[in-house]
Amino acid sequence: MDIARMARLAPIDYVVMAVYFAAVLAVGWLLRRLMRTSTDFFLSGRSLPPWVTGLAFISANLGAQEVLGMGASGAKYGIATSHFYWVGAIPAMVFVGLFMMPFYYGSRARSAPEYLKLRFDEKTRTLNAVSFAVMTVFSSGISMYALGKLLNLLLGWSFDASILVSAVIVLLYIVLGGLTSAIYNEVLQFFLIVFGFLPLVWLGLVAVGGWHGLSTQLSALSVARGFPPDAYTHAWRTMGDASRNPIGVEWFGLVMGLGFVLSFGYWCTDFLVVQRAMAAESMTAARRTPLIAALPKMFFPFLVILPGMIALVLSGGGAGQGLIPAKLTAAGLPLLDGAGHPVLDYDLATPMLLIRLFPTGMLGLGLTALLASFMSGMAGNVTAFNTVWTYDIYQAHIRKGASDAHYLWMGRAATVVGIVLAIAAAYVASAFNNIMDMLQLVFAFVNAPLFATFSLGMFWRRTTGHGAFWGLLSGTIGAAVHHGLTLPAGAVPGIKGGYLGLMHTYPSELAQTFWTAITAWTTCMVVTIVISLVTRPRPDEELRGLVYALTPRQTDAEHSFWRRPVTLGVIVLIMTLALNFVFF
Amino acid sequence: MSGSASLDLRLPIGGLFTTLGVIIGVYGIATNGSPMYAQSESINVNLWWGLVMLVVGVLMFVAGMRATRAVRASGMHETMESPEGRATERREHRSGLER
Repeated sequence: MDIARMARLAPIDYVVMAVYFAAVLAVGWLLRRLMRTSTDFFLSGRSLPPWVTGLAFISANLGAQEVLGMGASGAKYGIATSHFYWVGAIPAMVFVGLFMMPFYYGSRARSAPEYLKLRFDEKTRTLNAVSFAVMTVFSSGISMYALGKLLNLLLGWSFDASILVSAVIVLLYIVLGGLTSAIYNEVLQFFLIVFGFLPLVWLGLVAVGGWHGLSTQLSALSVARGFPPDAYTHAWRTMGDASRNPIGVEWFGLVMGLGFVLSFGYWCTDFLVVQRAMAAESMTAARRTPLIAALPKMFFPFLVILPGMIALVLSGGGAGQGLIPAKLTAAGLPLLDGAGHPVLDYDLATPMLLIRLFPTGMLGLGLTALLASFMSGMAGNVTAFNTVWTYDIYQAHIRKGASDAHYLWMGRAATVVGIVLAIAAAYVASAFNNIMDMLQLVFAFVNAPLFATFSLGMFWRRTTGHGAFWGLLSGTIGAAVHHGLTLPAGAVPGIKGGYLGLMHTYPSELAQTFWTAITAWTTCMVVTIVISLVTRPRPDEELRGLVYALTPRQTDAEHSFWRRPVTLGVIVLIMTLALNFVFF
Repeated sequence: MSGSASLDLRLPIGGLFTTLGVIIGVYGIATNGSPMYAQSESINVNLWWGLVMLVVGVLMFVAGMRATRAVRASGMHETMESPEGRATERREHRSGLER
């Protein structure tokens, strides 16, 4: 991998990085005196303005894996990757803002699992809290591992030093300033990511001759890969048939699996993002948080997906395609697939473009943006972990009724322990790569049915605690069974599925993922409804403020027309629809 | 209660981008015409992007300064520490314990 390691940093690049590190630590330092109660530490005292919580809402999700992964998918699937935004994230964010936030914020729950406790019972809360806590630790561990490996590959930095330095900085600013510090820095990191990647897209488009040049070159490549010429540059045109687009999925699987189940499941129930809205200063601010977040989010495909597409056509030499290098065998030779083509290392698409186009100076900024995305993702995980641990596990099961100062202390301790565990997970990942693949798979099974549980809880008052608990469990099992009975094309039974026998083969891994999610959601929905109907519901008085039918409507009459969440939601949806048509 | 009134977020962000803009912009001036810009399509991207960051940084910083001064003048930051605020927090803590 000699072409990759050619990136050399000059002193000016290190100065840019140092300025960024100083800025995030300064924010933590300036906020330290404000952290007096546990509410300050875990919920920012519910006092932040919506533009701050809104930008943190997307930034907490914008980890290094998102930035690198979306570039990789851009190179693999083309502009259709933006379905993750225009079919998936945006409609889900509008839904959570308009319809679900009144219950999250209005119930005064301090976490998403705590809402489940208020609405259902202790066992449903604990199931969700424990799986969520384990998941946050491992996902920050996995992304830490990815970052350490990348910096080692590109710059020859030591794996241990890269991991330790970035983890210690995140640790310091969270212990000092709690959730406020994490959120403030997420907003700062958001701007840094935008300003680091925007010039990359600009120079990239100049280099390939603009959008026109890019689509001409991509259509030749598309035909060479056996797809219609517009498969990489149009999002919908080839979605009629799974065999005509590189994602390998048809429109129904896409809209249901990615759009409905996966995206609503993530954006509407994941405490990592919901926590940002809970820190807002008022109900209206909380409801506007995901809507304000959706405005920049809908343009993110241009920031993170386009670099992958550009890297695919910009000439780089070597055994790969464009700038994307081939994966190497143990002997150091390009890895070939069955047809004799090299297997591409898509995750390197965006970093390779960065190195190719940025001179000294800007290179420092681009790498700092990459570090910033990693840190914002990690801080998001850590602050969600310390809250769920302290409120939903420690306070609920280990030590009830302690003083507020004790829980504040526990929050700081949990931050340290969470980061130490994440570092340990990163080393486990570097030792046993397959274990991590397996864990990510299990997380997908655990997450997929959640949206059914939350939406039934919020919108159907007859739902019972027993129904929710068994529905969640069987949804997870349903996902595992579906995955165990199917395989993506060309894979062998094992980690990719098929371990229970083979009933169906999907054209791609993504298609299999979408249908696994659809199965999990449907199973959870059906089981929850059936069990709820045969168990005793809670009396209506206990459910006020927790269920749609028993909560007064939000009229927003006190706000002017333009400031109402509904108005903003409609604007967001119209703009997203327009983007879908432009790239149809 | 803590509050946005105590630290306007535009100040640190504005400060960061002003600093980065100056550093990268000055480096761009110093290296103008250097052969290294061949890789960025002959655009002195350090100079131009440094200028963009400088302008954005200064605008943000000024907006943050003005807002902070307005808050101080109206005395709003005093009310953030009101006895009512403390009482609300104690109530929230108690209801949290009952859960």
